Amino acid sequence: MSNRWRWQYWPLKAKLVFLTLSISTLGILLVCTSLIVVENRTYEEQLESELMVLSGILAEQSAAALLFEDSQQLATIISSLRKIETIEQVCVYNTAGDVMAELNSATSATCPNLATPPEVGFVGDYYRLLEPVTLDGDTVGQLYLMSRLEVLREHIRTFILMAFTIGLTIQVALVWVAFRLQRLVSEPISELSSAAEQIAVNHDYSIRVPVYGKDELGRLGNAFNEMIGTIEHQNRKILASRDELERTVADRTSELSLANRELEAFSFSVSHDLRQPLRAIEGFGQALEEDCRGQLNDTGLDYLSRIRAATVRMGGLIDGLLVLSRVSRQAMEIQKHDLSAILEEIVEELHATSDDRPTEVTIQPGIEVVGDGRMLRIAFQNLLANAWKYSSKADIRKIDVSACESHGSITVAIRDNGVGFDMKYVDKLFVAFNRLHTPAEFSGTGLGLATVDRVVRRHFGEVYAESSVDNGACFYVKFPASVQK
Amino acid sequence: MEHYSILVVEDNPDDQILTMRALRNASPDSTIILKEDGQAALDFLFGNDASPRSAQLDSLGVILLDFKLPKVTGLEVLRRIRSCPDTDWLPVVMVTSSDEPQELREAYRLGANSFVTKQIDYSKFSEQMTVLAQYWLTVNKVPMVGASRSF
Repeated sequence: MSNRWRWQYWPLKAKLVFLTLSISTLGILLVCTSLIVVENRTYEEQLESELMVLSGILAEQSAAALLFEDSQQLATIISSLRKIETIEQVCVYNTAGDVMAELNSATSATCPNLATPPEVGFVGDYYRLLEPVTLDGDTVGQLYLMSRLEVLREHIRTFILMAFTIGLTIQVALVWVAFRLQRLVSEPISELSSAAEQIAVNHDYSIRVPVYGKDELGRLGNAFNEMIGTIEHQNRKILASRDELERTVADRTSELSLANRELEAFSFSVSHDLRQPLRAIEGFGQALEEDCRGQLNDTGLDYLSRIRAATVRMGGLIDGLLVLSRVSRQAMEIQKHDLSAILEEIVEELHATSDDRPTEVTIQPGIEVVGDGRMLRIAFQNLLANAWKYSSKADIRKIDVSACESHGSITVAIRDNGVGFDMKYVDKLFVAFNRLHTPAEFSGTGLGLATVDRVVRRHFGEVYAESSVDNGACFYVKFPASVQK
Repeated sequence: MEHYSILVVEDNPDDQILTMRALRNASPDSTIILKEDGQAALDFLFGNDASPRSAQLDSLGVILLDFKLPKVTGLEVLRRIRSCPDTDWLPVVMVTSSDEPQELREAYRLGANSFVTKQIDYSKFSEQMTVLAQYWLTVNKVPMVGASRSF
């Protein structure tokens, strides 16, 4: 509440008016005061010279009468001063200082004693004058004159009143002028300030301030308008590019979701329609084998079994492709998993489904990774099954899974002592349908490592391999720190 | 020992033959009713203007319902079966080529009793049909319907 009255909270208009008025008041006061002082001085000097002349004349007239000590004559001379209302007292002294004649307006008054000479000049409400009377260069007596100053005082009073009336009139005029003039300065500034506030609040960059004149305020207004123009232009560009970006994102999103829907439909179709004819080929192949065995020779039966085997292989390929497409389009559910436990489960399953077991499978306990459980299982199932498969020809088969952590990222290594591969083909390793072995050597779809790669990339990780022919292989899966929090 | 019948809903002629062959091998005495699309299956179950609801429904032990059918899909047939008090108890096995997780979820959500992905290897497919027939026709019990079922 008290803040409102502090100088820094005053509006510019009030400050300007206040400053103008303070300065003009001070000026008027100084002018009036000096005028009064000067007038007072001038009037006093004039009065003094008038009284000097008067006393001079009186002294001249009284000189002879004083010489002869003619009081009668002296009284007549000074009585002429009765006509002057302001003369309070006139005394004429001889050389001895005795009063020879006197004129008193007040009856009680007595002439001052010259033994203690009275103060002369302007004292209080009176002007006193003590003039020697001379005749031919000799002093024949003294003339004392005392005049009242009421006329002077009255005059000065009137003058002061006049001066202050004029001063006040001027001040009133100045107030009006100040109010008019401050607009010249404060209006452009308050327009600027309110425009700036409006822009700050509403972000409406189309606002411009009117510009008056070519002075600093005019230049400030121009600069302000130019600045806002630039901001408006940039803002428009930013908004346009944002809209463009949003449109692009929307387009891409709809393209992407269309592509996803097409992929879904394609997968659905593959799932149903591609498997059905295979089932028919396989089924009728077996039915033919069972029901018409007598009408086929051995070659025919061999062909038939080849047809059936190829059909089952193609079924495997379709299964692999579907898994690959599923890990690409499935939504991920990210949480922490005990990878060691998952690996142990996978090893159990591999033990159950295969006859030849590795000599030694070691899995480092307590490996924890963050990711999608189903996808991780698919990836590591493929990696372990590979280690299982490609080490199957060794006498002593060793599979080892270990993990190391650095800077929050986790690298899991799956090592086997199997046939390995030539490092010059390492780029082909993770590409779908690329195989480094013939079906006679090792069966496979060529989709397993492509699926592993897809899963790991969806976890923002990387998978790479080190190997040499006949010296086993080691596959590294690195999960980045950002996902492992 | 009662003899339940099986309703097979299958549109593909090849699959019809293979399924029937496998089921006959597995359960020679059972009645197998074949309907080649969803609408025909619905007409059989609920009747239509031309023919009333089938009396064979009373001895129905299980429906083997193909997922992908022309016109009325397998899921639609399942929904209709589950939304009618006369048939909502019927055991329905979805038999399909697919193993898409969302199809599995949808089928169970609509009240399928079982979901079987048909194997490409006919020996394995045959085995599947045998297991199905054995379970649903001899192990499993369904509620009594109509007068033909004894207490």
